Amino acid sequence: MLQPFVLEEPTSIHEAVALRARYGATAGLYAGGTELLLTMKEGLLRYERLVNIKLIPELAGLALEDGALHIGAITTHRRLERSPVVRTYFSTMAEMAAHVANVRVREVGTLGGNLCFAEPHADPGTLLLVYDASVALAQQGGTRMLALEQFFVGPFEVALADDEILTAIRVPALPAHTAAAYLKYGLLERPSVGVAVAVTARPDQVQEVRIAVGCVGPTPRRLRDVESLLSQKDLPEVRATLDAAGALAGSAADAVTDLHGSAEYKSYLVGVLLRRAFERAYQQAIGGDTGDAARGSGTA
Amino acid sequence: MTDDRAHHGTVTGQVLSIRVTVNGHVHDVLIEPYLTLIELIRDRLGLTGTKKSCDMQVCGACTVLLNGRPVSACTMLAFEARNAALLTIEGMAQGETLHPIQEAFIEHGGLQCGFCTPGMILAAKALLEETPAPTEEEVKHYMRGNLCRCTGYKRIIESIMVAARRLAQTHNPGALEA
Amino acid sequence: MRFATQVTVHVPRQSVWDFLWDVPRLTACVPGCEAVEEIEPNIRYQAVVRDKVGPFSLRVPLAVEVLEATAPVRLRARAQGRDATVQSLVKVELTLVLVETSAQTTTLQIDTDVTVLGKLGTLGHSVMVRRGEAIVAQFASALQAALGQEVP
Repeated sequence: MLQPFVLEEPTSIHEAVALRARYGATAGLYAGGTELLLTMKEGLLRYERLVNIKLIPELAGLALEDGALHIGAITTHRRLERSPVVRTYFSTMAEMAAHVANVRVREVGTLGGNLCFAEPHADPGTLLLVYDASVALAQQGGTRMLALEQFFVGPFEVALADDEILTAIRVPALPAHTAAAYLKYGLLERPSVGVAVAVTARPDQVQEVRIAVGCVGPTPRRLRDVESLLSQKDLPEVRATLDAAGALAGSAADAVTDLHGSAEYKSYLVGVLLRRAFERAYQQAIGGDTGDAARGSGTA
Repeated sequence: MTDDRAHHGTVTGQVLSIRVTVNGHVHDVLIEPYLTLIELIRDRLGLTGTKKSCDMQVCGACTVLLNGRPVSACTMLAFEARNAALLTIEGMAQGETLHPIQEAFIEHGGLQCGFCTPGMILAAKALLEETPAPTEEEVKHYMRGNLCRCTGYKRIIESIMVAARRLAQTHNPGALEA
Repeated sequence: MRFATQVTVHVPRQSVWDFLWDVPRLTACVPGCEAVEEIEPNIRYQAVVRDKVGPFSLRVPLAVEVLEATAPVRLRARAQGRDATVQSLVKVELTLVLVETSAQTTTLQIDTDVTVLGKLGTLGHSVMVRRGEAIVAQFASALQAALGQEVP
């Protein structure tokens, strides 16, 4: 049995932030619980109270508005995987969501919970970084938006104050002629290396490349130094630079040797996945059928 | 309309009263908020077909269906089953009549020791309800989180493909087998 | 998990050696170390070390034993303890070697081997490797600061 806790079940954001203001870090935010309960079962974390946020309707939405996907914090990976709107306009996200953990975790685990727990060996954060996603953080005084890049602080650490809750994730649609790709590798239960790219290109002309690496460093991170190596170049030049870019990405990824592999091996894999992800995204970007350009709106 | 052992005087004093329908039977139970679903199923309700194996939601031996969706009973809180329909392996057969998925597993060697089998069958049921005619790739993808140490998976996949065809025939007896 | 580093200080080796036996000043350099108690002078000590990563806290009461003290060259110690909440056993083997690079400068080589058993050891492995490196680096800087200036 888990260590005893008191269950709170707010039915509004207002109630939830009041609980956070009152109890701070002694009250754990509980959505799907796939990370939280696991850690509590192992005895690594203990909370006096759990605040169940799944009864708050405002956290459950999934909608496309003004060219951006608004994902309620308690949206499950499975919902993202199967949503017609996400599959049509953010197809890479749907594919990433479809490969998170296993189907049982996807049915229960939420995107908000995944981002807030900030387990380094995870998928969503890495891909969302190349979409320039942001998160909505609510407290009693109001809601602020924060770029996801600034939300990740360290392993299991995010810029969420003790009196705040994450209410939504905002994912802008990729610009025209842009496609994203996410590739990962791992043999353990969680991924060991994850690389996301977004490529804006016309045939033979690469305008912009966005690159993020996850699982390897303490947090997922954008590699802007590598991005500038590959942007604003014609395709042959980009291809000739991919090896160097891969090597730079590997060292910028800040790998350490652990149970997932040696630092050298992980750095090497970053380079491999970068090359492959680039090619995949480039082909999709010039193919026209990017699947990721959104116009209009709709409820998912 | 059964009840079971009530736990009063819990450590925090908080007790939840929930109603959960398990394999078609309604249960009104008093539980602690920190009781896990597998504890409710195995210890309180005595349904031991659901297995605790890895206890970290990786292996799938504890798979049960909550409103038709596969979940890891080991890492879910029991109160999340309130007002819901829970299906465990004990609910698959109708009396002495096995479910087509169970029959397919037996006929096609989809089990050896049987420990992973309850989870496999329930996951397969959820899959086929969602995707009645899956490709082999779709089966592999969906079943990826259910681990087996005995069979090497080939027979499990075959069993599920056979079950899919049989279920399709049952729903559409005039159709030709694919 | 092995972590190694070295620092060079503009201090004669004997002074560095003496510093190592100044228990309050030495343990002040250890990140997260509180409450050091001498059990047997120069041989046995009791210390509490704390660390925090995100929501995870560790508090380990360590029994420290000096295994070798070859003045003014080499110090080896072992520390062992268990976090009460997480029930993880933590073992640290520490070797400090002092190299006299000149009459006024000393290079201090720090070598530690840390073992964490239990769930934290497996689930937290990646994080601990990173934290271990950071902690040893902090220890080295603190030693350097406490001992004097760095040789350019």
